[in-house]
Amino acid sequence: MLIKRKSADVTRGKLQAALGGLSSGVMDRRSFLRRSGSGLVAGGVALAGGLQIGAVRKAEAAGMGPATGTKVVKNICTHCSVGCTVKAEVANGVWVGQEPAWESPINRGTHCAKGASVRELVHGDRRIKYPMKLVDGQWTRISWDQAISEIGDKMMDIRAKSGADAAYLLGSAKFSNEGAYLFRKFAAFWGTNNVDHQARICHSTTVAGVANTWGYGAQTNSYNDIRNSKTVIVMGSNAAEAHPVSMQHVLSGKEINRANVIVFDPRMTRTAAHATEYVRIRSGTDIAVIWGMMWHIFKNGWEDKDFIKSRVYGMETVLKEVEKYDPKTVEEITGVPEAQLKRAAETFAKIKPATFIWCMGVTQHTVGTANVRAICNLLLATGNVGSDGSGANIFRGHCNVQGATDMGLDVGNLPLYYGLVEGAWRHWARVWDVSYDYLQSRFDEVPAKGGRPARPRKANMELSGHTSTRWFDAAMLPSEQVDQRDNLKAMIVFGHGGNTIPRVPDAVKGLEKLELLVVADPHPTNFVSLAQRKNGTYLLPICTQFECDGSRTCSNRSIQWGEKVVDPIFESANDYWVIYKLAQKLGFAGDMFKNITLVKGKYGDEPQPESVLREINRGGWSTGYTGQSPERLKLHMANQDKFDIVSLRGAKGSPVENDFYGLPWPCWGTPEQKHPGTHVLYDTSLEPKNGGGAFRPRFGVEREETLPGGAKRTVTLLAEGSYPKGSEIRDGYPEFTMGILKRLGWDKDLTPAEAATIAWIGGNNIDAVSWANDLSGGIQRVTLAHGCVPFGNGKARAEAWNLPDPVPTHREPIYSPRPDLVAKWPARPDERTLRIPNLHTTFQKAAVEKGVAKAFPIILTSGRLVEYEGGGEETRSNKWLAELQQDMFVEINPADAAERGVKDGQFVWVSGPENNSRARVKALVTERVGKGVAFMPFHFGGWYQGVDQRGNYPKGTDPIVLGESVNTVTTYGYDPVTAMHEGKVTLVQIAAV
Amino acid sequence: MRLSRSILSLFAVLGVVLGLGLSSPATAQQNAPINPTASSVREDQLLNALKPGGAAEIGGRISIPDGTAATLIRPAGREWREFHQGTMHLVGAIAILGMLAVLVGFYLTRGKIMISGGPSGSTITRFGAFDRFIHWTTAGCFIVLAVSGLNITFGKVLLMPIIGEVGFAALSQLGKYAHNYLAFPFMIGLALMFLAWVKDNIPGMIDVQWFASGGGLVGKGHPKAKRFNGGQKMVFWSVILGGAALSVSGWYLLFPYTAGGVLNLQFWNVVHGIVGVVLIGAMLAHAYIGSIGMEGAFDAMGSGEVDLNWAREHHILWVEDEMKKGVIPARLQAAE
Amino acid sequence: MARMKFLCDADRCIECNACVTACKNENEVPWGINRRRVVTINDGKPGERSISMACMHCTDAPCAAVCPVDCFYVTVDKVVLHSKDLCIGCGYCFYACPFGAPQYPKVGNFGSRGKMDKCTFCAGGPEADLSPAEFQKYGSNRLAEGKLPLCAEMCSTKSLLAGDGDIIAKIYKERVVKRGYGSGAWGWKTAYKETVAI
Repeated sequence: MLIKRKSADVTRGKLQAALGGLSSGVMDRRSFLRRSGSGLVAGGVALAGGLQIGAVRKAEAAGMGPATGTKVVKNICTHCSVGCTVKAEVANGVWVGQEPAWESPINRGTHCAKGASVRELVHGDRRIKYPMKLVDGQWTRISWDQAISEIGDKMMDIRAKSGADAAYLLGSAKFSNEGAYLFRKFAAFWGTNNVDHQARICHSTTVAGVANTWGYGAQTNSYNDIRNSKTVIVMGSNAAEAHPVSMQHVLSGKEINRANVIVFDPRMTRTAAHATEYVRIRSGTDIAVIWGMMWHIFKNGWEDKDFIKSRVYGMETVLKEVEKYDPKTVEEITGVPEAQLKRAAETFAKIKPATFIWCMGVTQHTVGTANVRAICNLLLATGNVGSDGSGANIFRGHCNVQGATDMGLDVGNLPLYYGLVEGAWRHWARVWDVSYDYLQSRFDEVPAKGGRPARPRKANMELSGHTSTRWFDAAMLPSEQVDQRDNLKAMIVFGHGGNTIPRVPDAVKGLEKLELLVVADPHPTNFVSLAQRKNGTYLLPICTQFECDGSRTCSNRSIQWGEKVVDPIFESANDYWVIYKLAQKLGFAGDMFKNITLVKGKYGDEPQPESVLREINRGGWSTGYTGQSPERLKLHMANQDKFDIVSLRGAKGSPVENDFYGLPWPCWGTPEQKHPGTHVLYDTSLEPKNGGGAFRPRFGVEREETLPGGAKRTVTLLAEGSYPKGSEIRDGYPEFTMGILKRLGWDKDLTPAEAATIAWIGGNNIDAVSWANDLSGGIQRVTLAHGCVPFGNGKARAEAWNLPDPVPTHREPIYSPRPDLVAKWPARPDERTLRIPNLHTTFQKAAVEKGVAKAFPIILTSGRLVEYEGGGEETRSNKWLAELQQDMFVEINPADAAERGVKDGQFVWVSGPENNSRARVKALVTERVGKGVAFMPFHFGGWYQGVDQRGNYPKGTDPIVLGESVNTVTTYGYDPVTAMHEGKVTLVQIAAV
Repeated sequence: MRLSRSILSLFAVLGVVLGLGLSSPATAQQNAPINPTASSVREDQLLNALKPGGAAEIGGRISIPDGTAATLIRPAGREWREFHQGTMHLVGAIAILGMLAVLVGFYLTRGKIMISGGPSGSTITRFGAFDRFIHWTTAGCFIVLAVSGLNITFGKVLLMPIIGEVGFAALSQLGKYAHNYLAFPFMIGLALMFLAWVKDNIPGMIDVQWFASGGGLVGKGHPKAKRFNGGQKMVFWSVILGGAALSVSGWYLLFPYTAGGVLNLQFWNVVHGIVGVVLIGAMLAHAYIGSIGMEGAFDAMGSGEVDLNWAREHHILWVEDEMKKGVIPARLQAAE
Repeated sequence: MARMKFLCDADRCIECNACVTACKNENEVPWGINRRRVVTINDGKPGERSISMACMHCTDAPCAAVCPVDCFYVTVDKVVLHSKDLCIGCGYCFYACPFGAPQYPKVGNFGSRGKMDKCTFCAGGPEADLSPAEFQKYGSNRLAEGKLPLCAEMCSTKSLLAGDGDIIAKIYKERVVKRGYGSGAWGWKTAYKETVAI
C-alpha cells in the first residue's frame, strides 16, 4: 500500500489505515481490465479475452525473472523485405516479450509498427484454429486427415477430368525459402507450371526488366549500402511506409553525406517529406520522366562515356528514342517542368555515387517492364551500377518475396531461375534424383484448340503457366481462349490474399466457377470473405514463420535463418508438413522427398528445413545459392554483431571474417569454399571470389545488327576492357563451360571427383557442362580461382531485343486521363501474354470512345500504409495495428472535395469504369494528392461494394478491421511480359454518400 | 482575467475546428520546385504563432479516431494549471470564507430576525409536500456536490495531511462517485424547481421597492412582498442560472468526449469551479437566513406550515392573495 | 544524477508508429489507450513533420501540481509516475497536461472514467520492481532491468531518443550540426522550459 519511492514522506495515521482497504489495488486492477474490455465492446470489437490472457502471461513471466527459463530466440520479421531481426523472449513455450536486436546489421534493434507488434501474431485470437470446410454454406470443423484426404481426392478427380493444369497452385512470399522451394517442387511433381506467388503483383516486372538488362533480377546493392550514396532518387516507392527501417539507412546517408534525396511520385508521400526535392509526376508517365532526364544528360554530355563504352550494349538505339522526349513533350506528358527535371538529371549524373530506388509505383503498370528498363538505362548511362552507393535499389515487398522468386514460385521458372527448357528440367531431375521422363509424364497433353496446334507433354512442360493476376480469367474465359487442356477448376492458395489483384468483381465471378478452393493460411483471407460459395471450400490453418524454422532472403539477397519461436498454435501446422501430406496423398511424396530428411514434427514426420536448404544448395548453381548452408547461415545469426553496418562485411578475427552478412547471393561454390557472398552485384572493384562480379552475358556473345542502309554488322555483347579485379582474362568473356575450361587449360585444376561428376552430367557432350549445371561446383571453383566470374563478363543491354518493347517508349495508361495523348502514345496492340489474351488496345480504345476520362475524371492510384501489409488480413487482425487504421479511406485533394461537397471523414462512393464497380470509403481530404488524383491503400477487404461481409468469415476469424478493397474499382491492364496488373493508374469518380 | 483567457482559448478552439488552423509555410502547388527538407515545419515557429486569441494548440493529423489525440502540444495547460492552483483557490476561499465572515458579522450586528409581532400560533401552508421534496432533493444533492467539489479543490491542502494520502484517495474516490451520480438528481430537481416556482419569481417593480427599502434586513419594517420577495427571487435565479451553468459545464466534464477538446474542458472546468464556489457562498447565505438567521423561516421548508404572522410580515401580498382565494379559513382571517 | 527525457527528432520521424505498437506490446496496453502516439503536422504539405509524443516527464509536472489526490511522484531518474491506487480518475491531469499524455479507459456509463494511464518511461509504478502487480497496473519496468523505453529502442529511424537528457541533447545537437537542419526538440520548451540550442 505504501508508495515505495516516496514512502518516507508518507505518514500513516489510524484513519488512513482504516480507509486504506477501500482503494485496494486488487479491485483496481480488475476494474482496469474489465473497463478496458467493456470499452472494446462499446467500440464494436470484442477482444477482452485475449487481452487479459496476454497481460497475465507476461506478468507471470516477468515475475519469474530471466533466471527462471526465459529463453531468447531470433527470427526475422514476417512483413516487408528489409529483414529485421526479431528477438523473442519465450517463457514456458509462450512468447512473452520482444527485445531490440541491436546486433542485427540490418535493423540495429529497430522496427516499424508491424515489426514491433509481431508477437501478437502468435497470440492469434483471430487465427484459423482448426481445418474447416464449407458444408452447404456453413463452416464445419474437420480433422487434418479428413481435409488432406478430401482435397487430395478432389484434386485427383479434377486432374482426371481437366488435367493437371486445371489446378492453380498459388504460393506465397511468406513461405520460407524451404517452403517456397517445396511448393515449386510440388508443382513440378504435380505436373503444372501454373504456380505463382506475390512477386507477380509486386516486382515481376522488375525481375524481368532488370534480369533482361544485366543478368539477375534483384536489388543490386543493399539497404545498408545506401549510406554510401550521394544522390538518391526514389520513384514510385514510399519507403517511409512500406519499408520504414530502410529509411534508417537512407536518412543516415542523407545526413552523413548531405546527400540529395529526390522523390518522384504522384503523391507527396511521407518519404517525400524527407526529400531534398519532391517532383510531382502524373501517374503512369515514368518512361517519359526518365527519358526526359536522359535527354538532358546526353544533351549536356553528363553521361559516363567510359562506362557505356566498356559495359553497355545498345545505348545508341535508346538515344534515338530519347530524342523524342524534349522538355516540352515531357512536360506535356508528365507535368514536370523542364528546370526541375534538368536539375534532377544533372544531380543524378554528376553527384555520384547515385542510386535509384523504386517500388510498385514503377512496376505495377501495363508498361511495368519497360519502366524498369528505362530506369536501368538511366543507371547505365550515368555509370551508376556495380559500385558502392550506386545501383538499382529495388525494395521488394514481403519478407521472403525475393527468396520465393529465387525458388521459382513463378510461372516461367524452375528454382533459381533455371527456366523451363529441357536442360533446366534435366538439371533439376538430377538434383531431385528422379528421371526426366517421369517429370514429363506428369504434365498434360494439350489438344488443338482456338486455332492453336496440339501440344505434347514436353512442350506443355516448357510453356509458362497462367499468372496469378488473371486466374479468374483462366477460370471464366471460353475454353478455347485458354491455352491449356481446360479452364482452371481448382485454386490451392497458400498465403496469398484475394484482394490484392485488380478487378475484384471479376474475381468474385471466378470464385463461383471453381470446383475446389483451398485456402491454407494463418487467416481466412479475402478469398473466403468474397466468395458466396456453399461447398468445395477448405480452410487449412497454417502457422506463421515464427512457428517454424527456415531461411528467408531479404531484398538485398542476404539470407537469414529464422528459428522457431513457439510451436504452431491451435491446430495450425507448418507449410512443410502440409505440402508433404498433400504430396503423400497425391502419391508422389516418395519421389519428391527422396533426399530430404524427415523429422518428428507436431503431427508426425515432416521435412526438415535444414535438409531442404541443403537440397537447394545442391542445385542452386545458377544464382549462387550453393554456398549458404544452414550451418553458415546460423553462424551469421549468432554473430550478427560482427558485421559492419555499411559494408556488411564480417570483422577480422571473427568466425564470420570476410563474409558478407547473410551471404547475399550469388554465394558461389560449395559451402566449404567459403565464398563471402555478393554485397554489390556486378562490382568489378572486387575479385569475384571476394564478392566481385561483372554484367552477365546472358543473351549470347555477339549480335548481328542491321544498319539503316541495310548493311549488317556484328557487335560483341561481351565487356570491352572492363573486368573484375584480379581477373586472368583482361577483357569480356562468355559463361564458363567445361569446353572453355579445356580451351584455357584450366580443366586440369579440377579434382578427380569434380571431373567425374562433370563427366556423369555431360555424358557424351561433356564440353557443354557449365557453371550452372555442374553439380560438383568444380567449374565455379576453378573459374573463381582464376579471378573470373562463372557466368562470364558481358555488357548490360540498353536495348533488350527479345522484349515486346526492346527500347521503352511512353504509352498512355489503358484508362488514360489524357485521351488526347492516346493517339500519339497508344497502348500496345492486342496480343497474348502467358496463355491468355491481353487486350491493351481494345480496352484503351473503348475507354477513349466511351469518354471514360470525362465520366471518371479522377486518377486513382494505390499504395501501402505502414500499419498493414499486402491483403492485410493478418495485420488487420492484430489489435495493436488495427487500432491505428480503423477505416478504409480515399485521399482526395481539397479542390476535388470542394467540387463534390465532400468533407474530411465522411463516407464517399468511389466508382470505377468497369462492372459498375463502386466502393464505400471515408474521404481523407489532403493536399498530399494533387488535384485530379486520388489514392487508396490496398490492404483492406471484407467489405464489398458497400456491403459488410463479416458474416462470411468463420466465426472468430474475422479481422478486427474490414473495409473496401481498392481493387474493387481497379481495372483491366497487364504488362506484356509478366502480366503484372495495372495497379497504379485507373480512373474513378468520387461522390459523397 | 484567467477566465477571459480561457474563454479566448475556447474561441481559438472553435477557430481550429472551423479550419482556421495553422497555415503551412508553403502550399503544395503543382510543379513548383519543392524542397521538403528545407521547408520543414519548425517547433519554435509554431510556438511563436500561439498567441492569445489565436491558435492555442499545435496539432495535426493522427490516424486513430480520437480527435483530441491529434493535438501535439497545448501550452494552455499551464494557464489552466495556474488558474486551478491560484485563482480557483483564491476565489473559492473568498467566496466561502468571505460569506461566512459576512454572515457572522451580520449575526453579531443584527442578530436573529424575529417575527415582530411574535408567533400568532396559527399557521398557513407555504410549501406543499412536492415543493418541499424538490427543494430538499436539490439541496441535499447540492450539499454533497459542494462538499465533494470543495474536496477536489481544497482537500489536498486541508484534509490529506490529516487522514493521509491513501485514506484521502479512497474518500475522494467515493466523493467523485457521489459527485458524478448525484449530479443527475440535482439537475432533475433544478428543472422541477424552475417549473414549479418560476411563475412566482418573475422580477417586477415590487422587487425594486423591496430592495430599495432594504429588504427587511436593514432598517425597520418589512417591505411588501408577494409569494417570493426580491431576496428570494435572487436566490431562485442564482440557483437556476448558477445551477444551469454547473449542469452544462458538469455535463461536459462528466462526458469529456463530448466536449470537443481539452481546451473546452478547461473552459468548462473554470466555469464549473467559479460558479460552484460563488453558488456555495450564496447558498450559505440562503441557508443562514432560512434557518438560524430568522425566526420562523425554517418552517417554510420544514413542515411547510409557516406562522401567519411571519407570513404577513414577509409576504403580505401573498397572504392576501391566499385569503382572496379562500385558501385560508375565515376563522383565521377573523383572528386578525 | 540522470534526468530522463524523450526527444523526437522530427527530421527523422517517418510516422511508422513503431513506438506506438512497441509500447502496446511491451506494456500490454489495451485498445483505446494510447500512451504514445504520432502526430503529423502540415499533413500532406511540403515540410510536413511527424512527431512521436507521449508523457514528456516534465520538470515541475503540471499533472502532479493539479492532481487533487496527489497521486503523482517523481523517481530519482526524474520520471513522473503515478499510483493507480490513489488515482480517482478525475481528469484534472488531462486538463493540465500540455501533451495529452493522460489516458482513461473509455467506458459507456456515466461518471466512471477509470484510473488514469500514461507512459511510465517503461519504469513501472509504485509496486515492487518487476512484480506481477506492477506489470498488470503499469506495464513493464525496463529501467529496473537497465534498459530504456522500448518505443525509443525500437524506433525505426532512431528518431525517438530516450535517456539522460544531457546525452540525448548531445546526440541531437551532433546530428543537426552534421546535417545542417533541425526542426527543434519538440516539446522541450514546454516540458523542461529549455531547448536544445545548436
